[in-house]
Amino acid sequence: MEISVEGNTSDSSVSHQSAIDVKGLYKSFGRLSVLEDISLSVKEGEVVSVIGPSGSGKSTLARCICRLERIDSGEIYLYGQRTDGQKHSNSDIARLVGMIFQQFNLFPHLSVLDNLTLSPMRILGLSREEAQENAMALLKRVGLEEKQNARPNQLSGGQCQRVAIARALAMSPKIMLFDEPTSALDPELVGEVLEVIAGLVDSGMTMMIITHEMMFAKEVSDRVLFMADGNIVEQGHPKKIFTSPEVPRTQIFLQRLLAHFGKELTEGEKRGECSHGA
Amino acid sequence: MELDFTAIAPYLHMLLTGAKITVQASVLSVLFGAFLGIIVGALRVVPIAPVRSIAAGYIYIIRGTPLLIQLFLIYFGLPSLGLNLPAFIAGIIGLSINSSGYVGEIVRGGIEAVPKGQWEASKVLGLSYLKTMRFIILPQAIRNMLPAIGNEFVTLIKESSLLSTLAITELTMVGQQVRSVTYASFETFIVVGIIYLVLTSVTSLFLRFIERKWNVS
Ligand SMILES: Nc1ncnc2c1ncn2[C@@H]1O[C@H](COP(=O)(O)OP(=O)(O)O)[C@@H](O)[C@H]1O
Ligand SMILES: [Mg+2]
Repeated sequence: MEISVEGNTSDSSVSHQSAIDVKGLYKSFGRLSVLEDISLSVKEGEVVSVIGPSGSGKSTLARCICRLERIDSGEIYLYGQRTDGQKHSNSDIARLVGMIFQQFNLFPHLSVLDNLTLSPMRILGLSREEAQENAMALLKRVGLEEKQNARPNQLSGGQCQRVAIARALAMSPKIMLFDEPTSALDPELVGEVLEVIAGLVDSGMTMMIITHEMMFAKEVSDRVLFMADGNIVEQGHPKKIFTSPEVPRTQIFLQRLLAHFGKELTEGEKRGECSHGA
Repeated sequence: MELDFTAIAPYLHMLLTGAKITVQASVLSVLFGAFLGIIVGALRVVPIAPVRSIAAGYIYIIRGTPLLIQLFLIYFGLPSLGLNLPAFIAGIIGLSINSSGYVGEIVRGGIEAVPKGQWEASKVLGLSYLKTMRFIILPQAIRNMLPAIGNEFVTLIKESSLLSTLAITELTMVGQQVRSVTYASFETFIVVGIIYLVLTSVTSLFLRFIERKWNVS
């Protein structure tokens, strides 16, 4: 877990550079302790999936990493820079890490194109033309270039999430975090979003994906983390975690999941709108 | 008793001139009031506690005291501090400040009704608090509160009758003048009331038209 001593100066270790380093992270909400001594390191280009029961602290971990939550103690480094304090502005953080939410959180009053160009223009200082050119390339990448003038409420949930991914990419972050990107989608729309995420994996993006899509996690991840009760209970290669987990807690979780798999796909409230109450 | 409107007919144009002043005062006050109110409402939710308290105190005082007293303070009170304002200016300032208290509260509600996810998405896209407010939150909030601000406009038209106490020759003041010349009190104030009703009705219809346009786009 110690970051390499020689790593600071040598460029030869770039491919093994740590993108995310979390050390001894504690986070609680009032009396409720949500993350307890989490330590975690994600290398550049690595794809890490996070699985675990609801309430285990997965979202909170991702939210701490992109500084949506203040941490109680511990340290978070992104590309060697300590980012958990208030030293960095929002725009500093945004250049390092992008975040995808379960509920998309598109801006309902802006067109798809304006959703993508707002931050690059206002934060990165791109001209409108540059920002729009980039945005159109990204929309093409997620297969939605013909929706540039649509409003979010004219899109399906799957399309919304693809726009949200394109919007995050428009800031050219080095790391992408996904917090259950397909959990709010109707089952038939899950595939198109996973396809876009898989495309990002192929492009070599450093990613942390919180998901209940076990097949997908198994397929695309370099490593899988299993979280429960605010701890990383077990982690390892997807094959190992999914076929021969060592910790009983992981075994029970995966067995239950398998047993409920068919049921879960058809039950459960699925929502498709792009932003709450828009 | 018989109503005789012929006595006030020669003064109708005066009443209409008064109505024009009423409209001018209301429009100016609703514009300044909304502008001030948006600022006050935004300050009401900033993550800096003392600023929030000051904005809350402002709204509390404005909404807890009569408009008439606020007008008196500005027109009759400020001169003792050496600040002499023309009656019309004093009236506009008073109405605007009064309106800003109510608009501020409407804006606060509108801002708080924007889902938390909008703030979070803005933050992870690198927007500062102010940029988030300006580009993401306020545009959505203002759209949501357009009907309430429209009501505020209608209210202002009616409340502007208090400007008559500052001897501003708006509709109510002119009504009093016409009455004192014609002695036709009932007839005069019936006509004055009808003119107010026309003003508020036209304004309401106009606002509903704008809202519909806005919602379509
Ligand atoms: N803002 C918050 N205030 C209070 N409790 C919270 C907040 N966010 C999350 N929690 C609690 O923290 C725990 C972990 O939540 P979360 O990180 O969302 O878990 P997961 O994403 O694994 O389902 C849950 O018990 C949740 O109720
Ligand atoms: Mg979660």
